[in-house]
Amino acid sequence: MEKCVESCLARLEAAQNPDGGWGYFPGKPSWLEPTAYALLALSHRRGPAFERGWHLLRSWQMACGAWRPCAGVDQPHWSTSLALTLHSVTGICDAAFQRGLDWLLTSAGAEGRTIARVVHWLCPSIVEFDPGLAGWPWESGASSWVEPTAHALMALRCAVRRTKKPDWTSRITVSERMLLDRRCRDGGWNYGNRRVLGADLPSYPETTALALMALDGHAAVAWGAALDQVKRTWRETRSPLARAWLSSCLLMYRGERPQTAERDDRTGNDLLVTAIEGIRWNQILAAS
Amino acid sequence: MEPDPGCLITRRRFLGAAAASAVAAGAGCARRSLAAYQTGKAAVAILRAPSYGVDLVDRMARGAALCGLQVRGKRVLLKPNLVEFDRNSVIHTQAEVLAAAVSLFERLGAREILIGEGPGHRRDAWFLAEEAGYRAAIPNFESRFVDLNRDEVSRVAPFAGNAGIYLARTALAADLVVSIARMKTHHWAGATLSMKNLFGVVPGALYGWPKNHLHQVGIAKCVAELYRTFPHTFAMVDGIVGMEGNGPIQGLARSCGVLVMGSDLAAVDATCCRVMGIDPEKIEYLRLAAARRQVREQSIEQRGETIAQVRTPFELIPEFRHVRLL
Repeated sequence: MEKCVESCLARLEAAQNPDGGWGYFPGKPSWLEPTAYALLALSHRRGPAFERGWHLLRSWQMACGAWRPCAGVDQPHWSTSLALTLHSVTGICDAAFQRGLDWLLTSAGAEGRTIARVVHWLCPSIVEFDPGLAGWPWESGASSWVEPTAHALMALRCAVRRTKKPDWTSRITVSERMLLDRRCRDGGWNYGNRRVLGADLPSYPETTALALMALDGHAAVAWGAALDQVKRTWRETRSPLARAWLSSCLLMYRGERPQTAERDDRTGNDLLVTAIEGIRWNQILAAS
Repeated sequence: MEPDPGCLITRRRFLGAAAASAVAAGAGCARRSLAAYQTGKAAVAILRAPSYGVDLVDRMARGAALCGLQVRGKRVLLKPNLVEFDRNSVIHTQAEVLAAAVSLFERLGAREILIGEGPGHRRDAWFLAEEAGYRAAIPNFESRFVDLNRDEVSRVAPFAGNAGIYLARTALAADLVVSIARMKTHHWAGATLSMKNLFGVVPGALYGWPKNHLHQVGIAKCVAELYRTFPHTFAMVDGIVGMEGNGPIQGLARSCGVLVMGSDLAAVDATCCRVMGIDPEKIEYLRLAAARRQVREQSIEQRGETIAQVRTPFELIPEFRHVRLL
């Protein structure tokens, strides 16, 4: 496994942009999401590549506390959660970190608003979920979805371990319940709905892995069966991104990544995949 | 190879329309034929194609000629629908159709042909393209394909009554965006065709998976606004096998045996609706678009097959039975 991780880190260092960040693909402009993942992967090294990336990431925080997604877009972004996780991992829990946390804690899915709940009460079968259980949206004003909720939960858990006054227990609990409420009948998660217009929706491998990672050993999950299913899906799926998240989930809970097949560079040389595979999730998000 | 019902278009009709279109094309009119400008009508071609095994490039070439499509020297973005992939379903634009479109635009002399999609549900666009058979079917696929969800972005403002929206720069920079959708019903919008397919140029990296922003602003408003945002477009709707019922993901395959093509996306989608047995004037995004373009039947110059010759009523979910064409 170490050899694979080292290979990922070397590819990341080679693909770093002059501004210190990473694009989604080599040679493309920097975005916060791949930059945050790359820095999480490189966080244990703290070498020059990390320092350049860290400097860029810090410069992208907005006055509201959230992080912008890239240099050219001036609006809060869901990957603020990743920036916060990175701060916790590096142990830098300063004022910038606190402002980011404050922004994250005020952000919530729009389905919890009164009008949305009334609409849902009138037509409950359109999309079946509990509107009282708000997670996090992809952007302010939108509904909660699995992936941003999973990242926010992971960020809060990391922050709880680092700060003295973790008073976010109720938010974490509600978000866990939101994820459990959105679980598909097949046992996994898709982007965030389990049943629409009376029809069950199928789960996706990448969101299933993320939801399980965010649930952090929750008692409502039969973990043995769930992780066996993750392993089976990892063997079956051909999506490099899905395999990266599934193996990260197995690393978090079982301490090792399954052996990854040779990288297929025809798939666009996806730096997100490289970075996710280079992160030591078992150290960052050790299951309770 | 199956019999060629595409020849049901009479030679005289084809040559007549093609001649008029050639005049228009020569005048540099990429968007509509001269006849269409003179009459105020948008040209829409319906071509029979009973299966994906027929010579699709030939069918498309006829459709392009009927619509006066001129792309020589242009940078073209082909935008298939790959919102999701399920090998047991017909969610996506068929690989054979996309491959034929690449061949067509090469033949027509496009300077550059890119393929771009920003899937709405799954993040791994390259994987979806692989699973859908695009890489195997299309030469140089790796150098053509752009994941629009993770493309560079540019702001377009205002947008649908809001301050603005960021869109994939590859789409905005193209001389011509070719929307290659599958003919499908849609459980929120009634039908998803060439206009709704433009949702794929909205970057998921900013708006997420799904692109919930568009639902919050309003699906119909956003579809109509994207249509307005991209004035240089062409539509090729894959109705060889469409999807009926609970589309765009969980519906069932419905053989319809047609390709529908044209420069005015609203006119093409209105024609597709009529083929599917849907009243386009009851589809909200087409109503919104109709203020600017042609949706009414008398405003569309139908070429190739007539609607009556190919009409194939699609099954509609109860929530959309009111849009059934009477």
